[in-house]
Amino acid sequence: MTTLAVHGLTKAFGGVVAVRDATVELREGAVNGLIGPNGSGKTTLFNLVTGMIRPDAGRVTIGGRDVTGWAPHRIAGAGLGRTFQLCRVFGRLTVLENMLVAVRRTRLRELAGGLGNRADLDRARGWLARVGLEHLETAEARDLSYGQQKLLELAAVLMADPALVLLDEPAGGVNPALIERIAALVRDLNAEGRTFLVVEHNMDLVMGLCDHVVVFDRGSPIAAGTPAEVQADGRVLEAYLGV
Amino acid sequence: MAVSPSASSGTAAPGRLAGRAAFVAGGLLLAAYPWAAPNAYLRYAGVLVVLYAALSTAWNLVGGFTGYISLGHAAFFGLGAYATGILVVRTGLPHALALVLAVAGVTAFAAAVGVAAVRVRGSSFVIVSIALVSMTNLVAQNARWLTGGSSGLRVPPLVEGLSRTANHVVFFYLFLALLGLVLATWWAVDRSRFGAGLKAIREDEDKAESLGVPTTAYKVVAYAASAAFVAAAGGLYGIWFGSLDPIFVFSIVIGANMVLMALLGGMRFLLGPLLGAFLVAPASEYFLLAYGESQLHIVLSGALLAVVVLFLPDGIIPALRATWRRRGPRAASIQERSAAELAAAREEVPA
Ligand SMILES: Nc1ncnc2c1ncn2[C@@H]1O[C@H](COP(=O)(O)OP(=O)(O)OP(=O)(O)O)[C@@H](O)[C@H]1O
Ligand SMILES: [Mg+2]
Repeated sequence: MTTLAVHGLTKAFGGVVAVRDATVELREGAVNGLIGPNGSGKTTLFNLVTGMIRPDAGRVTIGGRDVTGWAPHRIAGAGLGRTFQLCRVFGRLTVLENMLVAVRRTRLRELAGGLGNRADLDRARGWLARVGLEHLETAEARDLSYGQQKLLELAAVLMADPALVLLDEPAGGVNPALIERIAALVRDLNAEGRTFLVVEHNMDLVMGLCDHVVVFDRGSPIAAGTPAEVQADGRVLEAYLGV
Repeated sequence: MAVSPSASSGTAAPGRLAGRAAFVAGGLLLAAYPWAAPNAYLRYAGVLVVLYAALSTAWNLVGGFTGYISLGHAAFFGLGAYATGILVVRTGLPHALALVLAVAGVTAFAAAVGVAAVRVRGSSFVIVSIALVSMTNLVAQNARWLTGGSSGLRVPPLVEGLSRTANHVVFFYLFLALLGLVLATWWAVDRSRFGAGLKAIREDEDKAESLGVPTTAYKVVAYAASAAFVAAAGGLYGIWFGSLDPIFVFSIVIGANMVLMALLGGMRFLLGPLLGAFLVAPASEYFLLAYGESQLHIVLSGALLAVVVLFLPDGIIPALRATWRRRGPRAASIQERSAAELAAAREEVPA
């Protein structure tokens, strides 16, 4: 029961309307894609639904519950995790410490436990092993390559056990082999029941990974459907080619 | 590379053992100080140094973990001192009880102030913290009926008829115990998930929020805990010193010293503030002694602060570690191993 939906969502920065009266509902249990030209408002939509910025108008609901205006940590607590377009990790924390930041439920007992708390450490090491970083747990995050940082960011988000994961350009700035690895990971996580919303410019990845795609242009959804349907849609070509 | 204590399990065992031995030896040496000090003045100075080490380490509970730089922590020092003194003088409570009540009251006050103060970041937070110490100073000056205003408040001694020297020895150990408690707290927080959240706030606050960390609550808890220890130090100071004057305890210089010491030693390290206090406090006492009540020691503190910020942004502990590593091949092993691992891992990932 975590379906994310936005209704009439609007956000302007000065004169620029980044998101304009957008109404979108995600398919639960699916890998949802969100595509659109540069500056069409995809990242702004992420920031709105995660509570990092407040909408000028409209509502955000998770599983039917209105979460508009909630603090980001509460929205995260409702089961929503996200990565950033320019990958963000805690540079001067070790890889293992990065993994232990995420809070599942704010339970004091869990927080007071040392980094040595077995259950947390096992979970952290399990995720690190899954993304292939288990041998780097004592390294500082800033010493990792960009690709490794992206894997760490994803693993750290998964520590919060989100039912819905928003990925902002997971393939941006990483090599083809790693893109394939991230795609495989998303498929596996989706098969385990997690819903995804993926913003991506790499069309091969979108077509290969997503079950359902929403197309954004100038702040609003202009088309939606399966990857094949969307690709065949004239309006999408128009938006991309600017005809 | 800072390897967190628990994360380095195994590989760092010999280094950790040596570290613990050095820690115990250092503690014993400190405990012996009052007996080794040749005169009353040096005993007095010793108390001052340990007091500053406790203050700066307590400051570092919020500064070092969250990166929020409070220049106004002297507000909690003064409040702790005055609350303890007033309770002893006006209600006749025993010193210990007065101290406990004062600390509880200041902690509650700090939590309330914290809720508002930690909402602003960066330099705005610094300004708010300075405003806090100015305001508390003004209130203490003007509430003459309660504080005695600028004519001061005399706090009766802990033990009637104790010589000055013996008083210094007693308070040296009381401040040492407080220092031990603050260090233990910092150490425990450093290893906890709560600590990981605080450090995440320092590195990237919005990112921490997005991972579900209730950042405001975390910051308020750290701020109040830090204030509690500073208030305890203030309360002890009042009883030790025996007289309080608002200008001296609600002092921006005391607050700035806490920051300078932590910055100098290294804010990200358990012993950074302590090291800074052991360097700065004796130096400023020396200049006070050598050049009298001139403002020279303040000017020198300012200059030192500028040098640290410009040339040693991480403090002297990492600089010392780097030098140590270059010398001793034994100590280098941890660093080199992980560097090699990194290089190997970089090549692995694309495959
Ligand atoms: N914080 C901000 N302040 C001012 N303008 C902003 C801000 N964030 C986004 N914008 C503007 O809003 C519009 C939408 O930007 P957004 O980052 O959401 O696009 P995007 O679809 O993610 O683009 P890209 O594919 O390049 O990442 C752009 O015109 C951008 O300049
Ligand atoms: Mg974007």
